[in-house]
Amino acid sequence: MALAVMLLNGASFRSGCCRHKVLLSSLGPLLSNSKLYSSYRRPGAEPEKKLSWQNVDFSFKKSIDHLKTQLSLLKKETQDYLKGPGGNPLSQHLLEQTRVLWQFRSQEDLNKWVISSDVEIGGKSKVYIKLGRNNQAALLYGTLNTEVPRDGETKYSGYCSMRSRPEVGSFNRKKYYDWSNFNSLYLRVRGDGRPWMVNIYTDPYFSHQKDDLYSYFMFTRGGPYWEEITIPFSKFFLSSRGRVQDNQHPVWLDKASFLTLGFTIGDKVDGPFQLEIDFIGLLNDRAHKEKFAYEAYDKNTPV
Amino acid sequence: MNPQANLIFIASLLLGTTITISSNHWIMAWTGLEINTLAILPLISKSHHPRAIEAATKYFLTQAAASALVLFSSMTNAWHTGQWDITQLTHPTSCLILTSAIAMKLGLVPFHFWFPEVLQGSPLTTGLILSTAMKLPPMTLLYMTSSSLNPTLLTILAILSAALGGWMGLNQTQIRKILAFSSISHLGWMAIILIYNPKLTLLNFYLYAVMTTTVFLTLNTTKVLKLSTLLTAWTKAPSLNTMLLLTLLSLAGLPPLTGFLPKWLIIQELTKQDMAPAATLISLLSLLSLFFYLRLAYCTTITLPPHTTNHMKQWRTNKPTNTAIAILTTVSVMLLPASPMILTIV
Repeated sequence: MALAVMLLNGASFRSGCCRHKVLLSSLGPLLSNSKLYSSYRRPGAEPEKKLSWQNVDFSFKKSIDHLKTQLSLLKKETQDYLKGPGGNPLSQHLLEQTRVLWQFRSQEDLNKWVISSDVEIGGKSKVYIKLGRNNQAALLYGTLNTEVPRDGETKYSGYCSMRSRPEVGSFNRKKYYDWSNFNSLYLRVRGDGRPWMVNIYTDPYFSHQKDDLYSYFMFTRGGPYWEEITIPFSKFFLSSRGRVQDNQHPVWLDKASFLTLGFTIGDKVDGPFQLEIDFIGLLNDRAHKEKFAYEAYDKNTPV
Repeated sequence: MNPQANLIFIASLLLGTTITISSNHWIMAWTGLEINTLAILPLISKSHHPRAIEAATKYFLTQAAASALVLFSSMTNAWHTGQWDITQLTHPTSCLILTSAIAMKLGLVPFHFWFPEVLQGSPLTTGLILSTAMKLPPMTLLYMTSSSLNPTLLTILAILSAALGGWMGLNQTQIRKILAFSSISHLGWMAIILIYNPKLTLLNFYLYAVMTTTVFLTLNTTKVLKLSTLLTAWTKAPSLNTMLLLTLLSLAGLPPLTGFLPKWLIIQELTKQDMAPAATLISLLSLLSLFFYLRLAYCTTITLPPHTTNHMKQWRTNKPTNTAIAILTTVSVMLLPASPMILTIV
């Protein structure tokens, strides 16, 4: 065992200082962590990351703590299951007309969201998120810059987005929501007049369509008053890699395997932007009777 | 769907079922099962929605694995006994593997996980075919090999199915999933009596098929998919909803209705075979499924839902009520007095 450790240490030492020697070129892939192919790193991408197993802390105490957390989550889930569908009594499921999904009152609410911008492809937009005044809202702000990164293949640039983290239950299992009681998304926002795009990304595990996205637009007013925007789910259209598909279908809400809800700004206008979000919720708008807004005609009619 | 394609799929389903039912060689039985699996996949994924594709994927993977296990069990039996006759499946290991394979095909616990998701992802008529017609070939295979199957395994599967079918159906709000769990608990009842009196298994299956067809067709007429829609479906066809109440109670097995007949006969047969504790246990476990049937019945007819003034009550259905629903409802509700005659037929 000590011999093996010595050999390994010797091997890594050798690979560290003799990486370019031809002698070790045959053992290169085994000893060093250089890739077998040349990889192009985009200007905004982070430099070579540590391998994922090097990040893990293999301490025993930490694993016991982790197990305890997961078991308590599992216990909570079992108790919720005993109460009724979705952790609430059935009467609540049958009677509810509104539900708040995300609200921004503390830092841990902000941690449920991830912000990103075109820096990842080498652009120059900036985006930040912080809690607004009196911890009553989240403020997403930044600067949009449509300057195209000069890597020879990108044609457009200039976008910023905020996406929710997918919810996981005990033991990192995916949580599926039942939003079948509701038919609209309800947002209380205060924007600056710029148009935003609301995107819903569903679980691609079974359909393997990793680029599918259901989107719709949110036009903000910009005044000092808060706006309550209702977007019916029947209006969300399907796009894949940004291209609107011909074959449209509505979002199914019963086993809403929604992984993320996201807001994106990409209206090709350089300059600062701001969006304050108070809460995001669901609404059962009984006056909205539309099932689906697109492709409502009958396809494949018999000749 | 394109009528010619629809014709091919329906004809393939009928062909596969007929091949399996009328076969006496294991390979032909397996052929029929595979034809059935392949023919129903386009019907499940008709709408090309990601959820329908998910349902079709789950269905295909489990059914293909189960078919392979059926073939494997028949091969090991042929290796040990030298013949491929379906009724002569005598080797104990083959019987065990076959029971597990058929349990996977039918949706008996612990191989039931695919069933609610597949029913939820498919349209109502395809769900009907999945619950009734696709269960007939595996059921006939069980019937033909019933004398050599392991009683302990079947009893365990049956009691677990009744238990889990009841428990997991309690928290559901999507009606197709509730019907999936009702199917699982009925399959438990069918499996428990298989060794002692296989004809009762078939009787239970036929009556269950009739009652489930009624429920599915009624839900298809009123276009109801979830519990909250069921609450306001009475405005579309009030008399149909009243009959749905009676059909649901019949599915639950309440006495003056038809659904009581198979349960009564099964309990009687189990008691005669010295299995009174099993009979008690499975009856108590079917109380759980009674709860969700009652909940469905309550939402259908007994309660008026809370609605605000801006809630539009739907007042018409898209298509006229199927004549078949009338006949099937009558059969599924009023057949108990004719039980001596039914016993002679089955």
